[in-house]
Amino acid sequence: MKLAVAGKGGSGKTSISGTMARLLARDGRRVLAIDGDSNPNLALTLGIPAERMSAMPTLPRDLLDRSGGSALLTKTLEEICASHSVEGPDGVTLLVMAHPQHAGTG
Amino acid sequence: MHATVRSVIETAPAEDVCILDTEASPEHLSRGTARYADAMIAVVEPYFKSLETGRRMAGLARDLGLERVALVANKIRDERDLAAVEEFAAQHELELAGVVPFDEQLPAAERAGAAPLDFAPDSPAMEAIAALAQNLARSNGRA
Repeated sequence: MKLAVAGKGGSGKTSISGTMARLLARDGRRVLAIDGDSNPNLALTLGIPAERMSAMPTLPRDLLDRSGGSALLTKTLEEICASHSVEGPDGVTLLVMAHPQHAGTG
Repeated sequence: MHATVRSVIETAPAEDVCILDTEASPEHLSRGTARYADAMIAVVEPYFKSLETGRRMAGLARDLGLERVALVANKIRDERDLAAVEEFAAQHELELAGVVPFDEQLPAAERAGAAPLDFAPDSPAMEAIAALAQNLARSNGRA
């Protein structure tokens, strides 16, 4: 299942995303949670401490190769997750697409 | 970032679960970021602006060709709130995939810096989200 969770700011989409991710992982599924918000806070809802997130390197800008006309990832998802994801409670893998501009905020 | 997210979702194995917490703006939909998702839920609160945003996002997700597009009601305090969302969903022919009650434990968890599931595992909101997760995962079971 590939599920996008949308909604207005403050609607609670992050609480719902993070909680579902953990519950489905408890059910024995492999779960990849992607924080696609430019003001990311899915980590907190998953129960991953802020210190662990701030130690995470930002995703490299050259992950996409557009030379062939369509955008292709230059690395496999496994490679991206190996270097840039965090494993959270219940075994959820978290990938944060954008980091906040200022460290220590939010 | 949008194109990268789109490619990551496309690459994620279909037999696993991939949950994308999107940006609050509908840009992720107009730019096709969620194109390779097979379902989208729009989380709405029981007031007009929130419902309208959800309806717009649902429309964009349908335009992208997602298999399942639904609303999820959140912060529902009473029968009147529920009726408002149900009425809106019926009027716009949108599925209502789940109803999560207003739960004081969620803001309390945030204040405590804890995951809601750790802070209040047996709260009504957590139970409702568990039911939602089962609903979405079950209908997505592939042979």
